[in-house]
Amino acid sequence: MLGVDIGSTTSKCVVMRDGAEIIGSAVIPVGTGTSGPARAMEAALKDAGLTQADMDVTAATGYGRNTLSEAGHVFSELSCHARGAYWLFPGVRTVLDIGGQDAKALSVLPGGKLGGFVMNDKCAAGTGRFLEVMARILDIDLDTLSRLDLESQECVEISSTCTVFAESEVISQLSKGTKPEDLAAAISRAVAFRGCGLLRRLGLTEPLFMTGGVARHGGVVRAIEAELKIPVHTDQRAQLAGAIGAALMAYDKITREGE
Amino acid sequence: MNRMEELLRAFRNIADNPKAQLEKYRAEGKKAVGCMLYFCPEELVYAAGMIPFGLWGARTQAVEAKRYLPAFICSVLQTTLELGIRGAYDGLEAVMIPILCDSLKGMDGNWRYSVPHIPVIPVAHAQNRKTEAGVAFTASQYRKVKARLEEIAGRAITDADIRDAVSVYNARRAVMRRFLELCARKPGLLKPSERNAVFKSSCFMDVREHAGMVSELVALMEEAPAGEFKGPKIVTSGIMADHPNLLQILDDLGYAVVDDEVTHESLRFRADVPETEDPIEGMARQVGNIEGCSVLFDPEKNRGKMLVDLAKKSGADGVLLVLTKFCDPEEYDYVPIKRMLDAAGIPAIQVEIDQQTAENAQTLTALETFRGILGY
Repeated sequence: MLGVDIGSTTSKCVVMRDGAEIIGSAVIPVGTGTSGPARAMEAALKDAGLTQADMDVTAATGYGRNTLSEAGHVFSELSCHARGAYWLFPGVRTVLDIGGQDAKALSVLPGGKLGGFVMNDKCAAGTGRFLEVMARILDIDLDTLSRLDLESQECVEISSTCTVFAESEVISQLSKGTKPEDLAAAISRAVAFRGCGLLRRLGLTEPLFMTGGVARHGGVVRAIEAELKIPVHTDQRAQLAGAIGAALMAYDKITREGE
Repeated sequence: MNRMEELLRAFRNIADNPKAQLEKYRAEGKKAVGCMLYFCPEELVYAAGMIPFGLWGARTQAVEAKRYLPAFICSVLQTTLELGIRGAYDGLEAVMIPILCDSLKGMDGNWRYSVPHIPVIPVAHAQNRKTEAGVAFTASQYRKVKARLEEIAGRAITDADIRDAVSVYNARRAVMRRFLELCARKPGLLKPSERNAVFKSSCFMDVREHAGMVSELVALMEEAPAGEFKGPKIVTSGIMADHPNLLQILDDLGYAVVDDEVTHESLRFRADVPETEDPIEGMARQVGNIEGCSVLFDPEKNRGKMLVDLAKKSGADGVLLVLTKFCDPEEYDYVPIKRMLDAAGIPAIQVEIDQQTAENAQTLTALETFRGILGY
């Protein structure tokens, strides 16, 4: 089974065997409307040592889900993230998925079915795009930004309301001599506060699991834990949750139909 | 094309071409008065022999209106003012502007300055609309509106004129309620966009003309077989739910709107004007009898209970809360409403709509997912 998650800024693909095992995967840092989906599929198949012809089923999700001609099944990314998160972390009750341009809080029912959800406004604040913009201003890469908060000694604040305003705030802070590590912590908190707002709106039940590209950003995960005072679980493969969920939902469907 | 299809197409055509309607009435020698958004006393306009004409903005970009309004004013008002400045409402004798939300409070002044050729008639409703003092206040304000309308119409409005108008409007309310019942009883007979057009067209039509068309449609709906509807059934709630993209998504995903608590739709038709000796007092009492609208003060917060009841009565699978972006009263209502729906075990989602938005991918994702949650 091939699960493809065509996001706004990233294309993710997994090859799964019998709904039980990931045998190939790829993440390409360009999303819908680009060569990303095709490249992600090619790379994941290569990783698994298989070809498209070997696939029983191909399922698509994400904002570009309706554009993939190979897809025999199409599912919304909300359902897929819930299903994928449940597979990665059985027993999960709440998922926070922060991607490139949006964020969602999902409540998960036993078995991985989606119970309810809240999506963010049409706004880059509190998303991966916010982190990309801030990394560029600080002239560091995203991986460095995700760790830099650990060195922070002083608490500074930046706006969590608007990426554009926050950008000018960070520039002002830099010109005042504020240390990059303190700004990195403030940036992580800004994203965390938006995500926590979504979780509070949804109604949070533990355990909480994070998916999407921002789940790889340790600073944000730590800031959410500090804000909510509960553990935030994640997984190295959390960015693939949507693609995993798509593959599993297609598997469920063909298995049901086969019965 | 059968007669029902013809009628539905006619409703849609009128809903999409209000300017043509306005010009038609003017060519017939009739005067028209704008009724901005909700709860303007349309009966008084009709009693003066004029056409009440709804102003609810449109799917367009606010450019000129930005000179007067900050970005956080809802798109309904942004685009209504924009259309006024662009001349889309030229031909109206005046525009009635209620002050039921914070953004509308400033609209009176903005309109006078930016659209000076269409005079403003302010409409003040009592905040405590159900008390005797509140009814007396609203009635006193309606009398001021009546005086302005008399000047514009060039004739007196008698109590008999108002009673006749109330009777005509109540008759239309009755037929609209029959239409609502049929939408619930025969889900899938009308697509969400078709259902919406029946409501929306009412804003731009002579009340008798609209009631006549709806009566004919209702008779055809009664005759039509109920059929087996296999899609998700929802109740909608909010100020407006008429964005073309939202309606297209609901149509495409096979939803049926089995009832609503939308100000632009059924809330205009649920409460009759009571027959009182003083007909203006009756009109003021009617405002106190309307339930389920975020801009009408309700210390009991009955809207959530009303939604729960509507959902149960109509057999809806869930509730779609359509939030007009930047509408504070709707945001405030969301929390108690959602809690009540959750407590009743009724699935609900909120989608945010901005009339200026041309792309609604998030709405598609949300409604596609919600359909799955509802088990379809």
